[in-house]
Amino acid sequence: MTNKSINLYFCNAFLILALSFFFNSLYAAEGGPCKDYGECDKFKYSLNDMESLQRGAATYINYCYGCHSLKFSRWGRVAKDLQIPEDIFFESLVFDKSIKPGDLMAGAMPEDSVNWFGVAPPDLTLVSRYKGDDWIYSYLRAYYEDSSKQYGVNNLVYPGTAMPNVLLSLQGNQRLICKDIAVIAENGGEKRDEYGNTITKEKCGFLEVEEGTGELTKEEFDTLIYDLTNFLVYVGEPIKATRERIGWYVVFYFLIFTALSSLLYREYHKDYN
Amino acid sequence: MQDKDKTRRKVLIGLTSAVGLSGLPFAATPFIAAWNPSAKAKAAGAAVKLDVSKMQYGQQIQVSWRKQPVFIIRHTKESLASLDNSLSKLADPNSDLISEPYKGLYPTRSKSSEYSVMSGVCTHLGCAPKYFPEVEPKPWDATWSGGFFCPCHGSMFDIVGRVFKGVPAPTNLVIPPHMFEGSILTIGEDKEL
Amino acid sequence: MKERAGKLFSWFNTRLPIINTFERHLSKHPVPSKVNFWYLFGALASVTLIIQIVSGIWLIMPYSNTEEEAFSSIEYIMRDVDYGWVIRYIHTTGASMFFAVVYLHMFRGLLYGSYQKPKELVWIFGCTIYLAMMAEGFLGYVLPYGQMSYWGAQVIISLFGAIPYIGESLELWVRGDYYISGITVSRFFALHVVALPLVLIALVFLHLVALHEVGAGNPEGVDIEEFVDDDGVPLDSVPFFPYKVLNALVGIGVFMTVFAIIMFFFPEGGGYFIEMANFQKANPLVTPDHIAPVWYYAPFFTMLRAIPDPLGGLIVMAAAVAIFFVVPWLDRSKVASIRYKGIYSKIALTLFGVSFLTLGYLGTVGVTEVRKIMSVICTVIYFAYFLLMPIYTKYETTKEVPKRL
Repeated sequence: MTNKSINLYFCNAFLILALSFFFNSLYAAEGGPCKDYGECDKFKYSLNDMESLQRGAATYINYCYGCHSLKFSRWGRVAKDLQIPEDIFFESLVFDKSIKPGDLMAGAMPEDSVNWFGVAPPDLTLVSRYKGDDWIYSYLRAYYEDSSKQYGVNNLVYPGTAMPNVLLSLQGNQRLICKDIAVIAENGGEKRDEYGNTITKEKCGFLEVEEGTGELTKEEFDTLIYDLTNFLVYVGEPIKATRERIGWYVVFYFLIFTALSSLLYREYHKDYN
Repeated sequence: MQDKDKTRRKVLIGLTSAVGLSGLPFAATPFIAAWNPSAKAKAAGAAVKLDVSKMQYGQQIQVSWRKQPVFIIRHTKESLASLDNSLSKLADPNSDLISEPYKGLYPTRSKSSEYSVMSGVCTHLGCAPKYFPEVEPKPWDATWSGGFFCPCHGSMFDIVGRVFKGVPAPTNLVIPPHMFEGSILTIGEDKEL
Repeated sequence: MKERAGKLFSWFNTRLPIINTFERHLSKHPVPSKVNFWYLFGALASVTLIIQIVSGIWLIMPYSNTEEEAFSSIEYIMRDVDYGWVIRYIHTTGASMFFAVVYLHMFRGLLYGSYQKPKELVWIFGCTIYLAMMAEGFLGYVLPYGQMSYWGAQVIISLFGAIPYIGESLELWVRGDYYISGITVSRFFALHVVALPLVLIALVFLHLVALHEVGAGNPEGVDIEEFVDDDGVPLDSVPFFPYKVLNALVGIGVFMTVFAIIMFFFPEGGGYFIEMANFQKANPLVTPDHIAPVWYYAPFFTMLRAIPDPLGGLIVMAAAVAIFFVVPWLDRSKVASIRYKGIYSKIALTLFGVSFLTLGYLGTVGVTEVRKIMSVICTVIYFAYFLLMPIYTKYETTKEVPKRL
């Protein structure tokens, strides 16, 4: 193909593809992963922040491990990866003294837990890989009071969840409330009445924590959930941080190799041009 | 082709080959390392800990370490004192033929003066020798002063696992690395080794 | 010392055609002197095949092909086996790279008329390789026994059920059980690990032998055999070694850079190389929200979904792959390369490419009314490219192909 027709080809291709994306977004399928919550909150992992991971691990063991096993993860590896000295780790976080470092984190739930909740609490080793970190971060902060449910709570991200709000005492009592929201006029400004007061409209579906019902402030709780989600990202793929670190070297190596072999090729190419 | 070009070619071939070949050991590493014992194997083969303080004198217990039997014996003072009586029967009383981790430390051949820790695998063909501590004549030895008798092919060992002369087994029972922390015995690991 | 080595070598050489084969197929094999990057994808495909075989062998070692242990054995590889994660990601990245490279390789064929006489058989072997690859990829994806492994297998095996009369028995026979189970997994394991790799290797060998028999093409569509020197070597050719080997080396460098970027920084490919649902063990009682195949089957999946009737969908999907086989006879053009073909061929190929990409995209997203219409339109364009080819290639005005490169 000549350069001109190549350009024409690609331009056409991209134009048509762009159009299809545009039309597609107009008629996008209903329902995102975070359901009634709307768009999931964005989560950025930081697997090199040892303190965050350590706090997350402690939160998990203290609040989650009672029901949710991490059956593909080994105790000793968590201690090692999170840079916690093994004796401190086993003293403070491993409650069953018969557990050895090489053992899998098989969980503490008895076999008939399905009778308690309707569904057995799932193993969470891989939850960050099949649900995504954004989802987890949003889910754990989206509980609200709902007296019609078995445990008195419901969740915007996972409506009808069988899981109680284990962190209720830390977060405080969150409720779905309606707020008076300023109406926005066509020019982007707030609409006002003849006296200059802002016109408001009632909008519902906002989450708000009742003052003083939680041990932690909103920022502290969000940090707790961040650390917990961070830990779950780690446990989902413990080698992730190492993988990304090694990756730089490997890519760099291949770039060098490509550059050198390109020079070599061109050198020999002189023979027949 | 000019000489300058010839050298340029040589340099480029050399550089590219060097860079290319230098990557090979790194590329090979995952494949070779993948054959190492995995975390699962290491967990299964991990050291075994037990409290031996409740053992009776003269008692032998057996534990499993890396899918093999390990004998632990708490010796009576008499049996330790009479160890030298059977010296003439032994093929290698000082364990000169094998490399033993705690050679010469205690007559028990272990890290303790009271307990023996040895692999329960006959050095002939791998059967488990049986413990006969009583000092009395036995069908396999009229002057038996306590020890092990292997039922498969008749090898005999003394009370601390040293092999007799003239039996199929060639060497003394193997001593695994172990350590005592108070009355807690750890088999398979020795922090001092 | 050198003499000894020389004598030892000639002992072998009198009994095996070492030098002969090396010269005929490597060092002195004539290849067109002027080709472009499109001609690198064949070599890259061979490299990827080797990568898949080596990484695959190493994966078999810790993998367990039973229903109870398959899923856990993958996590075992990822966590407990030293560097197991490297080998696993090599294999998953390699699978996607294999298809990417092969699609580009096939596109080169359409672009430059590589299927034209006398290379029809090279093309047919190639199409068979593609077919074998599709099967191999599907079988391999079932082995981790995640949710998508299970439900993807469910969809594909139920396609067998759409065949009239024998469908149900065939479905049962393929599964080996009344539902997908460990029996299915272990037979798929045998096919994926032994049977199809052997078939692929044999086909690749035949593909290359057929190619070497008639000689490679070039972007101009010039027959380089027309002008030869006194020794019979084409004037517009260069020996394969070292020139094409060095060219391939650059291609391999770029390929490995892309491979490494994917493997080390986003091995799941945003959910397109390893689907998120596959990090959950197969559960026959719970269907995932979206059952989608991996990206390289997406275009055909879209066609399958676009036709409401199961048998109809199966036939259209099969036809979409089968039609590749007859392209050498659909193309009636006097010229091989798109550079010298008429405007109709150029439009047709562009539309084909766009529709293929769009079909691919549509296969990865949920169904809506607008997308349904788009799927049908794109499927029609896809088939029109092939079915109208005898007409537009015959009657369009082509340019004159030069004699020399």
